[in-house]
Amino acid sequence: MITAERKPLDEILSYIKPFKRILLLGCNECVTVCAAGGRKEVGVLASGIQMSMLKNGASIEIREHTLERQCDPEYVEELVPIIDSADAVLSMACGCGVQQLATRFKDKPVFPAVNTKFMGGSDRHGVWTERCQGCGDCLLGVTGGICPIAKCAKQLMNGPCGGSVSGVCEIGDEVECAWHLIWERLKALGLTDQYLEIMPAKDWRAGGGSGPRKIVREDLAE
Amino acid sequence: MSFAKRLAAREFVVLAEMHTPKGVNITRLVNDARRIKGRVDAVVIPDMDNGIMRMSSLAGGVLMQQQGVEPIIHLYCRDRNRLALQGDILAAHVMGIQNLLVTHSEPMDQSDHREAREVYDLDELALVQAIDGLTRGVDLGGFELDGAPAFTTGCTIGSYADEAALDNELTAARAKIEAGARFIIAPAVFDLAGFKSFMEKASALAVPIIPTVFLIKSLAIAQYIAASEPEAGISDELIRRIRKSSDRELEGIKIAGEMLVGVRELAQGVMLQTLGWEHKLPDILDAASM
Repeated sequence: MITAERKPLDEILSYIKPFKRILLLGCNECVTVCAAGGRKEVGVLASGIQMSMLKNGASIEIREHTLERQCDPEYVEELVPIIDSADAVLSMACGCGVQQLATRFKDKPVFPAVNTKFMGGSDRHGVWTERCQGCGDCLLGVTGGICPIAKCAKQLMNGPCGGSVSGVCEIGDEVECAWHLIWERLKALGLTDQYLEIMPAKDWRAGGGSGPRKIVREDLAE
Repeated sequence: MSFAKRLAAREFVVLAEMHTPKGVNITRLVNDARRIKGRVDAVVIPDMDNGIMRMSSLAGGVLMQQQGVEPIIHLYCRDRNRLALQGDILAAHVMGIQNLLVTHSEPMDQSDHREAREVYDLDELALVQAIDGLTRGVDLGGFELDGAPAFTTGCTIGSYADEAALDNELTAARAKIEAGARFIIAPAVFDLAGFKSFMEKASALAVPIIPTVFLIKSLAIAQYIAASEPEAGISDELIRRIRKSSDRELEGIKIAGEMLVGVRELAQGVMLQTLGWEHKLPDILDAASM
């Protein structure tokens, strides 16, 4: 999933300060799962904004709404009947959702209420870690299912650096060395020969080095 | 008189662009520099222009220094992060290089190392700001330097498709000037009337503007530029002139010479760009009687 964290309230307030009517928009997908921008968080943020406004003797009208998916034009169309009831939109979706809104409603100011962080998964309740950087050329088939691009601080391709000690990365005690994990995993699978294969310098083109990437499925595209 | 002093004295400056080798054979570069020594005010050394891996501009600049030719070296953000850029900038000063040109860099997918990763840790404006900071003795981390470098820093205006694009270029250039850029290299001139109208807008930037005079090496190149960049101002008449010429190479040199003479009346300098035909630079200068 795409993970996100809510922005500090002061930053959010600075965006919406000039407006009297706000549409506060959550998303039912990734940001709901990582507890950053779902229906519940929309309610909490709306209360926080209202309390802050009251404290400062100001007022604001907030309409709360949560879409099934903000990154999908089909669901964004749901907003057409209500979009003009707001002077601006405050989106709690990831950056994909914010941009979908800004593209669809060209005359409406749209502001992000969360910082989009990374593609990751849940380690345990309330903890999410990065798993994938979308390099576009997946290596997991030869690295035991553990990604050296997302999980190695130096994105090394051929084993650990000298900073790996007892399976821990030099950048901090809580970070496991990706290449230690890869080695242990390949050992467990009886695939250590794969570790000895030298990987060439990575071709980064698939990672979007020269501009935004696009997927076109001819069989689906209209 | 140095490049910086000529700029300050409002003297016309003549610059020539020279590429470093793809390899370590510097014979051609050194010979070309010797041929124009004393005839140009400085040589501009690109740094892997168009994404073609070559010897770095820093080394090229040092080679120019050794030949007694003042260098201006390119800096851009595609290939180096802020540490590498700042380190090279300090090195440049120590090696005697006094002029930097912050330029746009071509996307990696048009380079000869297409699989490489672009850096863009900084953008051009941030790089100009970083240079300004270094000259004031502070790096981008906020740390004080043990000895601050000094430079005359320039920036570029890219080619523009229409007036709106030109306005964007001028806005970006204005920000870089506010950040410390002291001169501007402008796109190639093929049409003096068009350049005159460009200067009417660009002169508001209030720093010396140095247009490029590009050597048209063949009819095919002229046709290519006319087709791919109609705004560059290569007219049908110019293409006809090259086509009809019995010596097209010589015609290209004559055209470059005429442009050089023409821009002399309109700008504070010129940069000659020959893209691999640096040995023709003296001929262009001869054609312009300079």
